[in-house]
Order: sequence, then C-alpha cells, then structure tokens
Amino acid sequence: MDGIQAWFVQQFTELKDKFILCFIDGDRWQWIFDGLLNTLKITLFAGLIGVLIGIIVASVRSSYDKNSESLALRGGFGYHLLRFINGICQLYLTVIRGTPVVVQLMIMYFIILKSSTNGVFVAVITFGINSGAYVAEIFRSGIMAVDAGQFEAGRSLGFNYVQTMRYIIIPQAFKTVLPTLCNEFIALLKETSVAGYVGISDLTKAGDLIRGRTFEAFMPLIAVAIIYLVLVVILTRLVGVLERRLRRSER
Amino acid sequence: MSVLEVKNIQKSFGKTEVLKNISFSLEKGEVLSIIGSSGSGKTTLLRCLNFLEFAEGGTISVNGEKIYDGSEKRSMKENEIRMKRLHFGLVFQDFNLFPQYNVLKNVMLAPTLLKLGTEEEIEAGARALIARVGLSDKTESYPCELSGGQKQRVAIARALALNPDILCFDEPTSALDPELTGEVLKVIKSLKNGDSTMIVVTHEMGFAKEVSDKVIFMADGIIEEEGTPEDVFGNPKSAKMRAFLSKSFENI
Ligand SMILES: Nc1ncnc2c1ncn2[C@@H]1O[C@H](COP(=O)(O)OP(=O)(O)O)[C@@H](O)[C@H]1O
Ligand SMILES: [Mg+2]
Repeated sequence: MDGIQAWFVQQFTELKDKFILCFIDGDRWQWIFDGLLNTLKITLFAGLIGVLIGIIVASVRSSYDKNSESLALRGGFGYHLLRFINGICQLYLTVIRGTPVVVQLMIMYFIILKSSTNGVFVAVITFGINSGAYVAEIFRSGIMAVDAGQFEAGRSLGFNYVQTMRYIIIPQAFKTVLPTLCNEFIALLKETSVAGYVGISDLTKAGDLIRGRTFEAFMPLIAVAIIYLVLVVILTRLVGVLERRLRRSER
Repeated sequence: MSVLEVKNIQKSFGKTEVLKNISFSLEKGEVLSIIGSSGSGKTTLLRCLNFLEFAEGGTISVNGEKIYDGSEKRSMKENEIRMKRLHFGLVFQDFNLFPQYNVLKNVMLAPTLLKLGTEEEIEAGARALIARVGLSDKTESYPCELSGGQKQRVAIARALALNPDILCFDEPTSALDPELTGEVLKVIKSLKNGDSTMIVVTHEMGFAKEVSDKVIFMADGIIEEEGTPEDVFGNPKSAKMRAFLSKSFENI
C-alpha cells in the first residue's frame, strides 16, 4: 500500500517539476501566451481577408456563370472584361487550391514579401489569400443555392447586378453558408500551426521552442494540443448554437 | 395610341421555337388575359416583355416609343435595358418575395434603390399600396409568416411600387391553395377599376371571362385565337381552342 502511494507521489512530483521547468522557469508560459496571441491574430485577420476575397471572387464567378449567356449574346466590352476577370479568379483558385499552404507561406516569406520583417503580417496575408480561395467556393455554392427567382425578382424591379447581389442574394447566401464558413475558420485556426516553418512564433512554435530549450517534449506539446482542442471545441459549440438559431428563424 | 404594341416577337431556345411571330396590342386601362395549355409559351412571352429573356426578332413599343427591337438587341446597354424594363411590372407564379425583409421593406426596396423619392415619401407610398392589397396589419411580418395568398398580394404591391405602365401576372394563383385564389383575384380585379393596364396569364377561366377586355389563346407559340371574352369563350373558332375549353371546364 505504502509503495503505491509513494509511487504516485513520486510521479506527481516529477510532473510538477517538469511543469515548473517548462512553464514557470524563465517565465516560459509567456512564450505560450504570446504564441497563442499570434495564432489568434493570424487566424482572425486572415479569416477577415479570406471572407473579403471570397465574396469578391464568388461574386465574379457566379456573375459570370449566371450572365455569360445573355452577355455573350449581346457581346461588347462588358462581356470581355467579365471574362477576363473571371479567368483571373479561376487561375487564383487553381493555384491556391493546388499548392500546399506551407509552400505558399515560404514563397511569400522568402520571395514575395522578403523585405518585410513582420512575420505575423506575412502569415496574415498568406493565410488570408489561401483561405479566400476556399471561402470563395463556399460562397459560390451559397449563391448558386439561392433560388433563381430571387435574381429575376431583383432584375424585374430594375436593380442592377451589384444591387441584386448586395441586397437580395448575398444576405440569403450568407445565411446558408454561415455554418460552413465557421468550419472553414476552425480549419484555418489549425492550419496556422505551420507558421513556425518561417520562424513565426505562433502557439505551435512556442511549444516547440520550449521543447528545444528544456529537452522535455511531453509537457509543452500536450499543452499546445490541449489549447488548440479547447479553442476548436468552443468554436464548434458556437457554430452549433448559430446553426440552431438559423434553423429556428427559417420556419 | 396603344399603351403596348407587340409585333412579330420570336423566341427560340436552341432549336425549339417557343414564340413564333406573336403580335398584339393593348390600350390604356385594358386587361388582357392570356390562356393556353402548359408549354404553349405564355411565360416566355411575359419574360420577353420584361427582358428576362431577349426575343430574337420583333419589336415592342410602349406609348408609341419603340423600346425593343430584336434585330438591334446586340447594341442595347445594360442601363438602357434596366430603364426600359421599368415600363413593365411582373408578378411571379411563386411570388419571389425577399425572405430576409419584412413586408414593408419588400415593397420599399425597389423605389428606395431607384431613388424615386425621399424615404418618407417612399414609405408613405408603400404603406398605401399595402393597404390597397388589404395587408395593413401585416406590414412588419416576414414572408415566412404569411399565407400564399398574402404573399402574392405583397408581390403585387411590390410590383405596383414602381408604378409600371403595364403590370404582368404569370399565373398568379397557380401556386395557391384553391381557397386562397379568391383574395388574389379580388385584388387584381380592384386594380382594373383603378385603371391599371394588365396582362394576366391565367388558368382561371371564370376570372378571365369576367375581368378581361381581351383574351388571347396561345397554342404552340402562336396566337391561335384572340378577341373579346364573349367571342373567345362564347364562340370559339379554332378546334384547339374548343378542345382546350372543354378540357378546362371538365376539370372544374
Ligand atoms: N430557359 C429555357 N430553356 C429551354 N427551353 C425553355 C426555357 N424556358 C422555356 N422553355 C420551353 O419553352 C416552351 C414554353 O414554355 P413556357 O413559356 O414556360 O410555357 P407556358 O408558360 O405556356 O407553360 C416549353 O416547351 C419549355 O420547355
Ligand atoms: Mg408558365
């Protein structure tokens, strides 16, 4: 009996020492905290940029899908312009979705924005552009899901295309894609964990730094995992609440 | 001078000729009913008038001004189309109200975006229209809280808010339960007394007979028969029309 108790006490003391070594000594909890802040910063701003890019690209693409027939019939400058912009959007989607985000991050950090010393900024831009491609396709599916009669009602009332999108289609599309959009945001949060590849001290990198400094892997990595898990669980819950709300208001 | 003069409208989808040389005219304050079996091109005709489709041939004139010429459709600018479209209002079979806005906002949105007055004027106008279709107690309701008949009455108010020269209805009661068609037809009837010029595509033969000044019977993309309701219903000349009528009244 005493033996078991002593064993537990010993285990506990060991864990406690490791905890102190990893997080208390040298105020290393501060690394985790700063890393977490960077992760949240990158996720939030990249998410906002992603939504902005997504709305624009999705509007162009679905406008091309919906109008190209009637525009082609009448021809003219507007048609060629739209075709050109649509082509650029296509290229953007293909390139971004066809290459790993880590590679994009490294290209951004070491080539395109090489002069920038602000790693978090580079990450926000990279993940924003990356996320925009996925958000665009989410929005596009939402726009396509809006009843064709809504476009026609708008047009028959003399709205132009932008007004129809802004006042009629996008509010409805937004509502249908909101849960999917939030899931994309959650995925983004986890994806930012590769930011350490270019030396940005995000949450994952902070855990890894502590591991390198203390030669103790278990504590910092499990702590990092738990923090991600808690964030994701909270966000998922929120999405669930949101989804139920939306469904209720539909009737 | 006719309010509306349609000449030789042609429209095909791919190889299918849906409208073949449709011509008719309409005087101010008249009600035209278009009847005909499903697939005869009635909806396509209304959509061509509202520029939701573009006819390949023929002309459309409103108040003596030619607003559309199928042979020149390539040169029409988007803005031009938008302005000319406003000669017509369209009430859809399945309402197409904007679900995210309440009744008042549904009616106010178009005049607001087209800047047809101050906010107060537009709201007063919208409330008057909503009262006219008998829904003053539903101003703040959302479309999902309304019955089909009420939705369609809102859709009528919404179309009237732009004060179109010609108001078009595409089977306004087809999506409704039978007991709800009456309230919508009553509103349309009341508009006739208010001097609106209207084109009503309908399967309600009794209604067409009672309200119309003119009836057009369409079959396979042509006007098979046209005239006053007395002529068309009382003394149909074409065999197709007779067959259609006997089938319609059989169902009642
Ligand atoms: N967008 C379209 N593409 C191809 N065919 C169409 C389209 N719209 C209508 N049609 C065809 O045109 C014909 C007439 O349709 P429609 O005008 O809706 O008739 P109605 O309203 O009299 O029932 C039908 O055969 C229909 O299949
Ligand atoms: Mg039809």
